[in-house]
Amino acid sequence: MTTAKNTREMEKIEIATDVLVIGGGYTGLKAADSIAETGYRVILADQKDAGTPGQSSLFGLQPDFQNSLDGLKDAVKANSRVEFLPEARIKTAAGVPGDFTIRLTSDGTEIEKKVGAIVVATDIVSTPLNHIYGLDLSDRVISLSDFEEKLSSADFKKKLDKDKQTVAFLAGFAQDGNPLLMKRILDSVLAVEEAGKNATAYVYINDIKVAGDNLERLYKAGRDAGAIYFKSTQPPEIKQQNDGPAILLHDPVIRSDIEAEPDYLVIEEAMTPGQVNSELADILRIDLGPMGFLQTDNVHRFPVHSNREGIYVIGSTRDIQDLSDTWTDVENAVLDIKQLLGDGTKEVPKFCAVVDREKCVTCLTCYRCCPHGAIYWDDKAVISPVACQACGICASECPQEAIQVTGYSDDELLEQIRTEISGIKNGDPKILAFCCENSALEAGRTADLFHYNLPKGLRLIRVPCAGKVDIHYVLSAFIEGADGVLVMACHPGNCKSETGTTFARWRINNAYQMLEETGIDKNRLEFVTLASNMAPDFAKIAVEMEKRIG
Amino acid sequence: MEEKQVMIMGGGIAGLTAARDLAEFGVNVHLIEKSSFMGGYAIGYTCKASTECLQCGACSVEKTLKEATETPNIEFHLSTTVEAVSSENNKFSAKLKKGPFFIDPERCNNCGLCYEKSPEKGAVLRGYSKNNHPLYAITAEGIQSHRDFFASVCPEGAISVDAKATSETLGVDALIVATGFEPFDPNQKPTYRYAEHANVITGLDMERIKRTHGALVRPSDGQPPEKIAFIQCVGSRDERLGHLWCSRVCCPYALRSAQSIKTQSPEMDITIFYMDIQNIGKNFPEFYQTCKSDFRFIRSIPVDIFGEDNDRLSLRRFDETEGTTVMETFDLVVLSIGIMPNSENPAISKLLGIELDQDGFIDHNDALNQTLTSQNGIFVAGTASGPNSIPGSMAQAGHAAGEVLKYLGVTQ
Repeated sequence: MTTAKNTREMEKIEIATDVLVIGGGYTGLKAADSIAETGYRVILADQKDAGTPGQSSLFGLQPDFQNSLDGLKDAVKANSRVEFLPEARIKTAAGVPGDFTIRLTSDGTEIEKKVGAIVVATDIVSTPLNHIYGLDLSDRVISLSDFEEKLSSADFKKKLDKDKQTVAFLAGFAQDGNPLLMKRILDSVLAVEEAGKNATAYVYINDIKVAGDNLERLYKAGRDAGAIYFKSTQPPEIKQQNDGPAILLHDPVIRSDIEAEPDYLVIEEAMTPGQVNSELADILRIDLGPMGFLQTDNVHRFPVHSNREGIYVIGSTRDIQDLSDTWTDVENAVLDIKQLLGDGTKEVPKFCAVVDREKCVTCLTCYRCCPHGAIYWDDKAVISPVACQACGICASECPQEAIQVTGYSDDELLEQIRTEISGIKNGDPKILAFCCENSALEAGRTADLFHYNLPKGLRLIRVPCAGKVDIHYVLSAFIEGADGVLVMACHPGNCKSETGTTFARWRINNAYQMLEETGIDKNRLEFVTLASNMAPDFAKIAVEMEKRIG
Repeated sequence: MEEKQVMIMGGGIAGLTAARDLAEFGVNVHLIEKSSFMGGYAIGYTCKASTECLQCGACSVEKTLKEATETPNIEFHLSTTVEAVSSENNKFSAKLKKGPFFIDPERCNNCGLCYEKSPEKGAVLRGYSKNNHPLYAITAEGIQSHRDFFASVCPEGAISVDAKATSETLGVDALIVATGFEPFDPNQKPTYRYAEHANVITGLDMERIKRTHGALVRPSDGQPPEKIAFIQCVGSRDERLGHLWCSRVCCPYALRSAQSIKTQSPEMDITIFYMDIQNIGKNFPEFYQTCKSDFRFIRSIPVDIFGEDNDRLSLRRFDETEGTTVMETFDLVVLSIGIMPNSENPAISKLLGIELDQDGFIDHNDALNQTLTSQNGIFVAGTASGPNSIPGSMAQAGHAAGEVLKYLGVTQ
């Protein structure tokens, strides 16, 4: 089993070390503060999302945090390494890591900035879900945010007790919810119970999301203090009358209907990324993930990576996060930025993927298919060595064959295919497996080292990504005498280059058609996906192919 | 700049991540692991992909172990325990007990002869990852019972049956505690009769079965089950046991495993018994919808498990719609056991002078910064400080590495 050598000549380049932080909420301030502490200059673009009701959704009932936020804001504004741009809006972002050019407006003025890295730290938006319950908000049917606001008044709490008021909470029927929202509800429930022994909280809830710090304990504290929980997978029946809300629920445990006419009905809120995320995804050319978060659900991106080098997504930009998770994201981003920017000079591979300027016709196929935003153009396509991850998708997609990846050029790979096949003893079915180095190659090497039963005539060809496997390689393998060819990619959603598996699958589907036309049995080619820790599966797949073609 | 030394206790995913991150900034890392292999529990987990990746993070452990082994300034101390730690002038001195190492890593070429020819199963262990070196370890009991065999089996002369434990003292500038968790012992819930019935298994047992057989089979007969049940919250959220925490990873592993099993065997009848389903990944609403259409969800935790004919199992539980207890029979029952504090935490607390929280996990000194312990210069990462997922532990370990760098003054 041999693999292509991947030696690269390095060169030193100068890079910009200023960092742009987008978002002036807790996450953005914390990031600006920590990045400035390491010595880099920070441009903090306070990009408020229309409709964000301040920070209440993150802080809930915790005035201490509101105070520490104010303190943090003052400290950041006073920091000489931080340039605070109020009312900012990012217009365009061009360039590559270490050399981004950002055009933005702040307070109506147009500004251009050169930065080395970008941190996106947008806020979460809370929206009451009364409409899903068919309810109108009123004095007594109120959103969680508004109720938290009321609870911050001592007089309100006194009144809850004095007037023997009841508060009903409604959650988990309009959405699945999350631990952060759950914490806010549990805090409010406890606050109602602690307002006095005459105040009572009822909670109508589906799943209780306790997968967070101390939430089970908080849940118990509320119940111990007198809160009553009605758990059901179906929402209660709610009538909104002139004299307030009325709730009817069939309790499955005591098997009877329970009616309540609470003084307040508190409605759960959706906590979602703002609209600004999709706008930033377009401008920064980074992938928009599920639910509008600015990160795909891909383990290679966790915790704070986007699909583009030098652009980091932190806190609730990428997922629903509490304050401590957000801090964790900030410090992870700081480490990544330090590694990327260093002292302003960077060693990069001199050649990563190289464009033959004679052959390039500037069709921009490469620009469009590059999952890492690493390609730009002057009069011909140019690949940034800082941004390039050497996956080779562009090289295999280029209709002019104008791009070669160092260590994995077409010539080198074709030569390797020839050598490997000719090295297999006659008599053994000759199987060539193109293996993504992130998954199948690891699985294959483990299978070999652990002495799993493998076909004698199996050889592995290392590729940086299955997206590098050109249809040409597959056909060449058959021409050179391979009896079977395996193309082994990462599972969809686990491709380090996001789309490599998709490209490989498309090409192999085309190859099937070509094989059919030339009369080669389709069973001799197989496309599979697997992970690095699937050595037994690797062996099984290879042995099955051998049986099929032997 | 003077070279900084950091000791990390625990070679699981948190320890490996922190080690890699620190080493990348030129810090010399001593990674201490009490077992014979790096990777902790997480390296043993199987891939949970269905037709697509479900983001369990198991492959990230393999990747991080590989990266850590390829990083020059990490020294791996396998089969090593920390016996004593003292501190003076912001320096820690740690006394280590190492080995015995019956296999010399310099000479071992991982041929596997000792493992394959071993006269007794379990005398030679093999780690889960190819990125461990050596791949094999011989137990002290194995050496004692089969001294002659081991003295002669290795063609490279890498086995020394007379190896003795040694001690070493390290001087370090900071410490990270990444000593991990302990899975809940299902025997503490006697009505589940885990010890009695082969087909009552834990989530960890299920991982081992999938590793060994390449698919889920019943331990009693090695045959694939047709009808399986997952019981959630075994040991977690249990007031009677005093466990007032959600383990956070069990809903994810049960639902992902169930999806993965369903992909391999579409006919499988799967039921999940639960209290509350916790979120799994960013795309939870969509994922949960798929799960609801693929499996039966019953919000009720069974109280008893009884044995039936053909090693099948009956579950007794309260039924909401019937208002009475009901019985149902399954081929295999998977207990979703939770994350418990490491039983060595009290000893670690005493050794390092750091506090534990009320549940017995390593306490963090700051409500928001979860990497600081009650001692200056000692940091914490991963499940040592409470339940966490693989990606969550990795993020916390990155954060801990960042705090260590700040503490050591390794900034620009």
